[in-house]
Amino acid sequence: MQETLKEIVNAAKEAVAACSDESQIENLRVQYLGKKGQLTALLKQMGSLSAEERPKVGALVNQAKQELEELISAKKQELKIKAQENKLNEETVDITMPAKPVKTGKLHPLNTVLDDMINIFQSMGFDVVDGPEVETDYYNFECLNVPADHPARDMQDTFYLGENLLLRTQTSAAQIRTMETRKPPIRVICPGRVFRADEVDATHSPVFHQIEGLVVDKGVTMCDLKGVLEEFAREIYGSDTKVKFRPSFFPFTEPSVEVDVTCSECGGKGCRVCKGSGWIEILGAGMVHPNVLRSCGIDPDVYSGFAFGIGLDRLTTTRYKISDIRLLFENDKRFLEQF
Amino acid sequence: MKISLNHLKNYVEINVPAEELCERMVMAGFEVESIEKQGDNLVNVVVAKILKITPHENSDHLQICQMDVGANEPVQIVTGAQNIKEGDLVPAALNDSYLPCGVHIVKGKLRGVESNGMLCSGEELCLTEADYEGASVNGILILKDTHPVGTDMREVLGLDDYIIDFKITANRPDCNCFLGVAKEISVVLGTEFKAPKPEYKTAGGNINDYISVEVLNYELCPRYIGRIVKNLRIGQSPVWMQKAIIASGMRPINNIVDITNFVMLETGQPMHAFNYNDLADKEIIVRNARKGESITTLDGKHYDLNEDMLVIADGEKPSCLAGIMGGRESEIEDDTNDLFLESAKFRRDNIRHTGRALGIRTEASGRYERGVDIKNVEYAAERALQLIYELDAGDIIDGCIDCNKGLPEDRIITVSTDKITELIGVEVPDEKIVSILNSLGLETTISGNTITCRVPSIRDDIEGRADLAEEVMRIYGYDHIIGTPMRGTVVRGKLLPERIKANKIKSVLIGAGAYEIATYSFIGSKSIDTLMLSQDDPRRNQIKIINPLGDEYSTMRTQLTTSMLTVLATNINKKIGEGRFFEISKRFIAKSLPITEQPDELATLSLGVYGKDEDFFTLKGIIEAIVKVFGAHIEYERSTEPYLHPGRQALIKANNKEIGTFGEVHPSVSAAYGIENRVYTAEIKLDVLFTIEKRKTTYKPLPKFPAVERDFAMLVDIDTPVGEIEKAISSGAGRLLEKAELFDVYQGEQIPSGKKSVAYSVWLRSQDNTLSDVEIDDISNKIIKKLENIGAELRK
Repeated sequence: MQETLKEIVNAAKEAVAACSDESQIENLRVQYLGKKGQLTALLKQMGSLSAEERPKVGALVNQAKQELEELISAKKQELKIKAQENKLNEETVDITMPAKPVKTGKLHPLNTVLDDMINIFQSMGFDVVDGPEVETDYYNFECLNVPADHPARDMQDTFYLGENLLLRTQTSAAQIRTMETRKPPIRVICPGRVFRADEVDATHSPVFHQIEGLVVDKGVTMCDLKGVLEEFAREIYGSDTKVKFRPSFFPFTEPSVEVDVTCSECGGKGCRVCKGSGWIEILGAGMVHPNVLRSCGIDPDVYSGFAFGIGLDRLTTTRYKISDIRLLFENDKRFLEQF
Repeated sequence: MKISLNHLKNYVEINVPAEELCERMVMAGFEVESIEKQGDNLVNVVVAKILKITPHENSDHLQICQMDVGANEPVQIVTGAQNIKEGDLVPAALNDSYLPCGVHIVKGKLRGVESNGMLCSGEELCLTEADYEGASVNGILILKDTHPVGTDMREVLGLDDYIIDFKITANRPDCNCFLGVAKEISVVLGTEFKAPKPEYKTAGGNINDYISVEVLNYELCPRYIGRIVKNLRIGQSPVWMQKAIIASGMRPINNIVDITNFVMLETGQPMHAFNYNDLADKEIIVRNARKGESITTLDGKHYDLNEDMLVIADGEKPSCLAGIMGGRESEIEDDTNDLFLESAKFRRDNIRHTGRALGIRTEASGRYERGVDIKNVEYAAERALQLIYELDAGDIIDGCIDCNKGLPEDRIITVSTDKITELIGVEVPDEKIVSILNSLGLETTISGNTITCRVPSIRDDIEGRADLAEEVMRIYGYDHIIGTPMRGTVVRGKLLPERIKANKIKSVLIGAGAYEIATYSFIGSKSIDTLMLSQDDPRRNQIKIINPLGDEYSTMRTQLTTSMLTVLATNINKKIGEGRFFEISKRFIAKSLPITEQPDELATLSLGVYGKDEDFFTLKGIIEAIVKVFGAHIEYERSTEPYLHPGRQALIKANNKEIGTFGEVHPSVSAAYGIENRVYTAEIKLDVLFTIEKRKTTYKPLPKFPAVERDFAMLVDIDTPVGEIEKAISSGAGRLLEKAELFDVYQGEQIPSGKKSVAYSVWLRSQDNTLSDVEIDDISNKIIKKLENIGAELRK
């Protein structure tokens, strides 16, 4: 009987090893281990054995049964994996086939740059405020220390809409409105659209954008101004950017400076972009003129402040190396897609 | 202001190269617009001797010259000039040379004869008599025989000068002249500054015997000085003076006119010389023009004057437009014998007004507009007389008429040095502050740490400590300023709610594939007509720009759609197949016209889409996504925008507020933009949408019980809107309705005419239990009943 057992087990092992299909293996399980299977049949013959032999042979048969069960389930697992592998292989795709498009749009490049600026200044504690585009002469000029017929008015060609009403030529007008409605400490930026009667060409547009910054508090100095602008310049142009002040004149600040940064193209060595100087002029700034503070009801002997005005369009065209400012307003989709 | 560097050296020692001087002046607040080395544009032109002249075989006017140019071999040059002879020294432009006019000379053949350059006239070298005697002769410039052959013409002409164009800021009118710039240079370089000290001899007489001067309006003319010069000897001014005038962009005329111009360039004070003999009644009256008066100015133009304009009149009529331009009648001419010289201060806003009103701007009026110094008026007059004396241009009559109502005291500023350094944030040593201010001509003393500063009237721009701080820093150097990080209370920067809301809308739109555009706030005056609006449509009440750049940019927009249509047209014309665009900007709504107060500037969203996959409903989907941001309930009504397709447009209501319209653009409107495709636009009043406050979001438990789906197919009248069917379903299902989805609309074959087939999937769900068949049947019956009420015929 032990001989028979050995034969059955060997035959089963061979059959399992040769099996290559999940349904076949199930047939084998039934053939050997099922209710009518060969091993089951063997167990049924146990009755014919002697009392001593019965447990011994029983143990052997059970051992063989367990062995075959394990073998079959391992084979089953193996075949399953294999089948899955085959399926996955068949499902291989050409990964260079085009994607199913998710169509998304883009912000206008001016606003992409503006959002970066807002984030920088907001993180430095600047509120972002707004002001009207149609301004009164008072807010656009008078209060900014540019009285009627002041020669500084020649610096900007203004569009007029009516008696004392004009399209603001600078976001500085928002300075005044801010100082009138808020008490120091004041820390705001005012981004917005401004207008000057410049004929349209590659570098001039009658409509452009500025970001005005204003800080008023006790003990504010030019060093604070430089600190803020350095922080800004490093964020925008890179961490090793340097900032230089050059004396200049704006009616609403005193002292007034033009602010240059090291050319991001050549790192300050001098190139075509910076016309060899190593520096690029990016904005005008200065300490708020005492007359301006006074006209907003702020005592210049107690408070001081600084203001700056950044040209967003120029910042945008230099960042993306856009050669013609008119492209910003033409709105060709192939242009807008690039940013 | 353009200045000859060589000329500046008459007033100040300049011990650094021109480029360095410019750099240092920039850092002191004087931007340099250009620096031009004379002779840079004159290359390879040399002194040459004519060895031999032979006629040209094929020409009756060309001559062939063999030229000694200082080389081993003679050079052959063909010329058309006739004023030359063998042995003459002339300027020769050799092969590969450049002339000041920009011409590049290369060798070539003239009627078959080789010519290796060109003989030059004075004109071709851009020379005047001031540069070289004989330069104005019509023909080749014949040089004096003192120059060695082969000498570079730049050396011959003494072209070692630089012309520097300083940009003078509006606060520094005192630097619109040689002396002002020279003074600044002396401070920047720390070298000596010398202003000329006017000295001259008079020829006796008494001015009062010659002229009387009366100022009727001291308001507009705070100071008026007059002098008489007799027996004029009019001729050319000296070369040095002509060169200085030319360098500064003016034209030499004669010694008297040149002196007045030169003194203006030197001192910043405009001067005017009248022909004394043309002054009626020997009177000068400074007064406002009278009604009906007019003047013909030096340039021959005729102007009608009004009573706001200041004139210098003689006993009869205006003789000069004060501060702007002289009259033709009293012009100095070659035969003028005697002159009346004026040096005056006029109020700058009056000059500006008059100049603008008449459209005249001159070197003089520009200076008056920026402001001249009341004390400098006298110095300039003295300087002019000194030059008249030194150049022997006439006999100066004794006596000076000086009309003024008293001269202002110097401004005294007393401030502690701490107050100055406080503003800068940098410690500048007190003695440095004092020495800088003194060097700038602001007499400054210090006691303790308080400085007292006497500001001369010429530095009228200095009013207080901020100005002193600037003066100190621009000389001390802005590189001393070291940036400090933000100090003070830590605050969080906030955005305005409108910006936050607009940003949310932009995110949705970008996610929906739309590109943001930027267009001008002004449009053409006729653009609104393309929208076919009725004549009384309020959007026609547009604000006009008084001084637009052109009609195209003349009108503040009351809507954004015309700009959007232009952008759609641009893209369609460029064969870009599809696009979704949006813009958030302002519409300008006047309170009344013409405007007397600021208009309302209202935030507006404009949308525009086109392409093969776009239609009314894709745009509707975008609009719903936007309104969803605000959690508002959206409804539509038929609308009647004239510029939209009458059957494909709708009014949008969010929480019952009208926020805008959208739809397919009317083909006639599209056609006006050259668009043949179907395009779709929307215009949404964000100012209204933004008033909708989103309700606070609270969590709703996720459903515990399954939903059941039932389909309802029905026939309805062809013009029944599906919105009505949806309402019927909703009212039938009550609060058990989860959603109702339209899945089919069909009309045509197998459907009776005048009817359409509509099919909805309806999901029902209870929060409390699994719906039983009985409950579901009950609700279905209610839905069917409601549907039948609106005339639907359910299909089984």
